[in-house]
Amino acid sequence: MLRGLSALLLLLILGASAAEAHPHVWITSTSELIYAPDGALTGVRHAWTFDEMFAAYALQGIETKTKGAYSRDELAPLAQTNVESLEEYAYFTFAKANGKKEKFNEPVDYFLEYKDNALTLHFTLPLKAPLKAKAFVLEVFDPTIFIDFKFAEKDPVKLVGAPEGCQMKFHRPNDGSASAQQLNEQTFMNGGENSNYGAMFANRITVDCP
Amino acid sequence: MAALDGAAHDVMAQNPFGGPRPAAEQEIGGLVGWILTKQSEFYREISTALRAAKSDGSAVWSLLAISFAYGIFHAAGPGHGKAVISSYLVANQETARRGIALSFASALMQSMVAVAIVAVCAWLLNATAKTMCGAEKAIEIGSYALIAAFGASLVWTKGGNFMRALQAPRPEPVLAAAAGHDHPHTHDHDHHHGDGHVHDEHCGHSHGPEPIELAGPGGWRRGLAAILTVGIRPCSGAILVLVFALAQGLFWAGIAATFVMGIGTAITVAVIAVVAVSAKDLARRVSAARDSNGVLIMRGIEFGAAGLVLLFGSALLLGYIAAERVTCL
Repeated sequence: MLRGLSALLLLLILGASAAEAHPHVWITSTSELIYAPDGALTGVRHAWTFDEMFAAYALQGIETKTKGAYSRDELAPLAQTNVESLEEYAYFTFAKANGKKEKFNEPVDYFLEYKDNALTLHFTLPLKAPLKAKAFVLEVFDPTIFIDFKFAEKDPVKLVGAPEGCQMKFHRPNDGSASAQQLNEQTFMNGGENSNYGAMFANRITVDCP
Repeated sequence: MAALDGAAHDVMAQNPFGGPRPAAEQEIGGLVGWILTKQSEFYREISTALRAAKSDGSAVWSLLAISFAYGIFHAAGPGHGKAVISSYLVANQETARRGIALSFASALMQSMVAVAIVAVCAWLLNATAKTMCGAEKAIEIGSYALIAAFGASLVWTKGGNFMRALQAPRPEPVLAAAAGHDHPHTHDHDHHHGDGHVHDEHCGHSHGPEPIELAGPGGWRRGLAAILTVGIRPCSGAILVLVFALAQGLFWAGIAATFVMGIGTAITVAVIAVVAVSAKDLARRVSAARDSNGVLIMRGIEFGAAGLVLLFGSALLLGYIAAERVTCL
């Protein structure tokens, strides 16, 4: 009995600390996979729209000519900060070609856009080396779940200039593909320690080419 | 909860009519998933309510109601001191009532720190998000260091007690208890009610602190370290709400929401703290029925809880637990 109680105490304290994380930022993403004329995949272009609370936070302290309107130039320093900060988090974008991890170079063509009270970060992630892969997998997620990534309802993912015969599939974290990973309480408890349980919230894009 | 879930699915699977599988199965499972979903819902509603409050004053009431609910659910996530407070309560000879008081005091401090950061950085200095987030990160790392230091000091005192309990001659409970008194702190018994930590030594196997001991200034000083350790780190959610409120020209509504959120947070943390204290009380009663082994076990539990605080703080500091990090974009 005493041993059981001690175990309960430990569980309570550990469980309370290690388990659940919680998103504070919500991003609605649309992404494009960019292909070169020769059919090689060169990179990913993201458009990330922030929730309005985080947008207000990000826009805090930015001087503008007109109140409430932010031009691309006025937002340029913030966009710079954004892409620089994102490096630490590997841009929340994880690629695998034929099962092998691929890396990205620093973002190019990045800018922020403020339209209809929504702040959107546009940026392109070039692959270190363009590649042709039979099976390409791209995951977008925050392993710590500080940020919740949700892809847009309409046209979440587009292939731009992909060779004929390439098949794209997009899986949201909550659809059948995620339940196949057997999400349950236990996974969360175990995952808390290695902080990789955010992977279960991954948006997964797969492209299979002949 | 998980077991219930599983049982429900088993029943469904055996359904002879072969109906479609429940939709719930396709979502991120169990209690945790439910909490995450609820949180997101409430959080979204906070921004909507704040927007509404701009034109309609009565929307402030729904803002406060939502903030309260958000606080309750939000505190189920990390970063609200549940682990520190529970471990502290278990490591020390503390009552449930003290646990509740500590939870509320630390949540109040968390709210005040959040308001102070936004008031100074955003409102007074009009700093950018980069600066503000930098400040948040600095405070965060400081708070991890505090947790580790707090844990180390608990380990120091509790480790001593545990060693003495180990060395005490086992068969005679009387001797074991006497051994507990035989240490450098003994002189503190003279001013008994002034300096709280002394009580830990001799309350071990029979009684908790009397209510009168909680009222005195020493009683509060004892918990102050726990309150500071937990309260120094504001919740990122509260800061986001405050900055958003400021941007809407409704800073006061944001402040009110933050404090109401704090009350909700305190309730969740207090519930967990009370469960921890009750479990320990039960363990104490069970062990008191035994011979001096019981004392040893209780000291072991206290030492273990102290060790957990240290471990937890160090893991956060060194980045082994990354789930709580503030992400600056």
